[in-house]
Amino acid sequence: MSQVRIDKRIPQGKLVASGHLACPGCAAPLAMKLALNTLGSNTIVVMPASCFTIIAGPWPQSSLQVPVFHTAFATGPAVASGVRAALDQQGKHDTTVLVWVGDGGTFDIGLQSLSGAAERNENIIYVCYDNEAYMNTGIQRSSATPWGAWTTTTPAQFPEASPKKDMLAIMAAHNIPYAATATAAYPVDFVEKVQKAKAMRGTRFIHLLSPCPPGWKCGDDEGLELARMAVQSRVFPMLEVEHGQRWRLTMYHVGESVEPYLRRQGRFRHLSAEQVAHIQAGIDARWAQLVKRVEADSLVGV
Amino acid sequence: MSESMPTTPGPHAVPQVAMSTMSTLATRTGSWKYQRPVYHDRVAPCNARCPVGIDIEGYLNLLREGRVDEARDLLLQENPLPAVTGRVCHHPCENSCNRRALDGAVAIHAVERMMGDLAHQRPAPVFKGTPRAERVAVVGSGPAGLACAYHLARFGYGVTVYEAAPEAGGMLRLGIPEYRLPRDVLDRDIARVTAHGVEIKCGVKVGTDVPWSELTSAYEAVCISTGAHTSRALDVPGENLPGVRPGLAFLRDVNSGLRPSLGERVVVVGGGNTAMDCARSAMRLGAKVTVAYRRTREQMPAIKEEIEDAMREGAEFVFLANPVEFREQGGRVHAMVCERMALGEPDASGRRRPVPTGETFVIEADTVLTAIGESAALQNFFTDVEGSDAGLRVDALGGTSRNLLYAGGDVTDLERTVADALGAGKRAAIGIDRHLRHHAGDTAELNALRFADGNLSAARWTGRDPVRRTAPVNDVVTPDDVNYTQFRRAPRHGDPHLPSAAAVQSFDEVNPGMPEAVAMEEAKRCLNCGVCIECDVCMIFCPDAAITRTDGGAYVIAMDYCKGCGICAAECPRGAITMTQDRP
Amino acid sequence: MKKVMVGNHAVAWGVRLARVEVISAYPITPQTQVVEKLSEMCADGTLPARFIKVESEHSAMAAVIGASAAGVRAFTASSSHGLLYMHEMLHWAGGSRLPIVMVNVNRSVGAPWNIWTDQNDSLSQRDTGWVQLYCETNQEVVDTTIVAFKLAESLNVPVMLMLDGFYLSHTAEPVDVPDQELVDRFLPKRVATYKLDTEQPHAFGALVKPDAYMEMRWMQQEAFRQVPEALAGIEQDWARMFGRSYGAIESYRADDAELLLVTSGTVTSTARAVVDARRGNGEKIGLLKIKMFRPFPTALVRDALRGVPRVAVLDRNVSPGHGGIFAEELRSALYDLPDAERPELFGFVLGLGGRDITPAVIDEIIEQTRAGTVPSREDLWVGVNP
Repeated sequence: MSQVRIDKRIPQGKLVASGHLACPGCAAPLAMKLALNTLGSNTIVVMPASCFTIIAGPWPQSSLQVPVFHTAFATGPAVASGVRAALDQQGKHDTTVLVWVGDGGTFDIGLQSLSGAAERNENIIYVCYDNEAYMNTGIQRSSATPWGAWTTTTPAQFPEASPKKDMLAIMAAHNIPYAATATAAYPVDFVEKVQKAKAMRGTRFIHLLSPCPPGWKCGDDEGLELARMAVQSRVFPMLEVEHGQRWRLTMYHVGESVEPYLRRQGRFRHLSAEQVAHIQAGIDARWAQLVKRVEADSLVGV
Repeated sequence: MSESMPTTPGPHAVPQVAMSTMSTLATRTGSWKYQRPVYHDRVAPCNARCPVGIDIEGYLNLLREGRVDEARDLLLQENPLPAVTGRVCHHPCENSCNRRALDGAVAIHAVERMMGDLAHQRPAPVFKGTPRAERVAVVGSGPAGLACAYHLARFGYGVTVYEAAPEAGGMLRLGIPEYRLPRDVLDRDIARVTAHGVEIKCGVKVGTDVPWSELTSAYEAVCISTGAHTSRALDVPGENLPGVRPGLAFLRDVNSGLRPSLGERVVVVGGGNTAMDCARSAMRLGAKVTVAYRRTREQMPAIKEEIEDAMREGAEFVFLANPVEFREQGGRVHAMVCERMALGEPDASGRRRPVPTGETFVIEADTVLTAIGESAALQNFFTDVEGSDAGLRVDALGGTSRNLLYAGGDVTDLERTVADALGAGKRAAIGIDRHLRHHAGDTAELNALRFADGNLSAARWTGRDPVRRTAPVNDVVTPDDVNYTQFRRAPRHGDPHLPSAAAVQSFDEVNPGMPEAVAMEEAKRCLNCGVCIECDVCMIFCPDAAITRTDGGAYVIAMDYCKGCGICAAECPRGAITMTQDRP
Repeated sequence: MKKVMVGNHAVAWGVRLARVEVISAYPITPQTQVVEKLSEMCADGTLPARFIKVESEHSAMAAVIGASAAGVRAFTASSSHGLLYMHEMLHWAGGSRLPIVMVNVNRSVGAPWNIWTDQNDSLSQRDTGWVQLYCETNQEVVDTTIVAFKLAESLNVPVMLMLDGFYLSHTAEPVDVPDQELVDRFLPKRVATYKLDTEQPHAFGALVKPDAYMEMRWMQQEAFRQVPEALAGIEQDWARMFGRSYGAIESYRADDAELLLVTSGTVTSTARAVVDARRGNGEKIGLLKIKMFRPFPTALVRDALRGVPRVAVLDRNVSPGHGGIFAEELRSALYDLPDAERPELFGFVLGLGGRDITPAVIDEIIEQTRAGTVPSREDLWVGVNP
């Protein structure tokens, strides 16, 4: 037994080339690297407007060494449905269609087409890399922005007033074969989820927490640690749901206080002790609900 | 496909659709960075804190890789007596282990013991350096003397050890009870030293049987490692009553095979290892034992496990108890009057000072064993050698104030532990070698032989260090440098113990040792603090895919694409990557 | 094989004969029979296509974009608000140079709600990079659907077919259904110039900087320049195989005409009857049917209208604040003619929201055109009393 979490289970590949245009410390290209190298070269990526539109590189370059179709904001799942249909018509049933979308494209403008694709159980993998705001356009709030967060459209004097939408529950309610949360900060967990998703058919949804140093106002090297703090403080639990019914935690969650997670990010710096307590209470309440929902054996620590 | 795509005419041919034709490698995003990562191996705290100067991280890593014989050889480069230290060392390595913050220190002592025992079954080849003409005398065959002799022999010198006792081993044999260190184990470790050509002359007391002057004329250099054998006195009334005796003398009797009669109730005064040895030995002779200590358990200098074992075996502890008088009845001691102490301000040792309260109480005793420390009882070896009541004064390489006279171990004024003695013997050996070779190195050169501010490395001194480190930086990895999230929890494997009821019936070894397979697993718990072990974490986490692994196993960072985000350094499980703003 | 069918079913037959591989659509009156018929065909296996029944027109267009980008023949149909909801993706299809064919059943645009025909829905999409073809009969619908794929795939431009809501979509006419084998020879399986292919991975549609975006638009324009000639060639083939053709424009009894009516869509058939009646009276009145609105057949209409004294343009559409859209396009096309050859052009806005355009209405337009001395810049609103 190896004692380190990281081991040779992380597929090594070269499907994401260096020279992409992600900001230093952005977790999105890391997640893409893990996902693509797990899915392999027989993959087609559909990419609606998001940071990754820029990250992937300007024409005539492309960081991704698989086919990519860039498309308009709301259309990822719909375009992917078309690609899937075309591939099936050509007998290419084993090609994976991967939709790679940000939180705005998922929680907001793309929710309708995502719901449509999920309801039709389109045979696609959908990854939402969630950096909790419209980062590409300069940090404007989305419905993935957590309560209390500063963004350029929710100034510190009047920060985000709505709690974050529960995207996993929304997707699970479509009874799709697979819905999960993950983060590149736990690469083995993420890769295992991608592998699991790849082995299934139908709509598979992975919601990735993807730290954004400029948007979260943290150090370039702090994002992944923050993501792990988000998990361990149960802000963003690691879950998977099969067929909308079988809810499981995929790792042990320590249940650390949320305060250190908040205090290390400039976007939460203005929060008062009362506001932090409010956030903690919300987390605790959601966790209590979650504990009732997940299978008991998945609560056991490791 | 792309060839058939229509384009605009002319040299600037733009196709009808925005279809990529190349990767982003053409974009040198590395120009964005203002800092860059560098692989810098650093020092694991166990290595820095090991008084012997063992490359613990190095041999644990070899074990992890399954290179058991190489691990053994690396260990034996620094430590001649691993089967001994694996049993009796106070293991500051474990006390400083960064894994403590996760799920318990690596049980280094247990692994070392396994390695020591393994080296008995499968001995390492005897190493002898290029023979030297000079000969060296070592006086005393305790751990300091044995270490000095061992290393000198490996440096190529002829070495003779003079031992006053009938058998070699010094305090290892006379002070430490057999239930902690079986004599056959000690014999086998000493045999390793003699196998290197060291001659040990037992039953020869230098200064009595052989004059000191004979040594200084017959040998090019002399190392004094005669130990500290005088128990410190309590200086209280009744101390000389029959039944009140120095613990060390008691242990010497027991360890020589005698079984002195103690009566029913034995009180041991003191909180160090000698006190624990006395208490546990007395219990094995059938006594009911009470340990009286003037501070509290937290301040006890004894090895933690020894205290636990003593308690488990039935010893009672009375803390904050300072003897002020021994009372007599029938011509011998029958009670000890103690003053109740309280803890005050920290003293020079950093421990809180016991302060008298004026309140007294009485503990009844048939025998009292005093174990409040030993002194070196400096015989005037040489009138011109500097020293004090605390022992001989030596320099960083064991040199006394007299030329070519070296010293190490309890006879000096340094820490009095087995490990410190082994380390001091090695320092003296290196000092002697350096002197006899007329090697004029500076402090920096010496520091390069150390793990941080730890002891000298014989492997480095001889240029035979098999462990290659990447651009090493001599600072110690702290818990802050370790990324604990990269490690799975894997609780420390515990030491096996004989059942206490059975253990106190004999002097058989209490700890039968961790099974080899378990110890091998325990070795894998090592975090390899500060040392790149090619775990791939940096490569896996690099968001810019700028880190690749060469066939040789080393990593290469493509500076054309590294944006200097620092994730590799932050995510490195063991602090082996440093961000620097220096130009390459 | 002759069949009597409504226009919407004619669309479905055209799609079936073209062996479309992926369909995606969302229902909207008066297009619903298209998706219903196609669903039947897919269900009974007569059309082995994947029909993606999406949750919106935006997604319908997105889905066919995805399918077309992956190399297959793809089709969608919509109308009115549905078409407008597709607007963003119409641009995306045009800019991606994907040979998608779609049918738009012309319907007015709210508010207020109105389900009957006019052309404002499709004409408002004129700058999205789609070829626009307006059909007059159900036979033309079947034939043009197939022709449209050939045209789209030859130049990598998407093509939009229009038929008037209810007047054509729900009107049954006899249709000579083309023979499948012949159609297969006319329109073989699509071979994509470029596609999403894991064997040759490319990214499509990434950020293009100012140094090349304009070139790509120029290439798009260049393709549109080639459409009239390409369409003529394709129609020639079609005519040779099936004995029918329509042209980008059609002049009807226009020789020596002193007055030409200009129409598009089903009103053309009504105008033909009026022209026939007038010619029967010896009046020199003819007709110009404009089928292709984008690219605008400027050269063709110039030739057709050169030297005609008076032209009456019947616009079942309006650009508020300007006028009838065909009339404006024609004015622009005729501007370069020498004064002596440039017709006097009269624009009439009529038939909006499905208001009937009867022969009597066209007669009135003829009389007004004849009477007018100065062409009106402000188009005349037929049937609206100020």
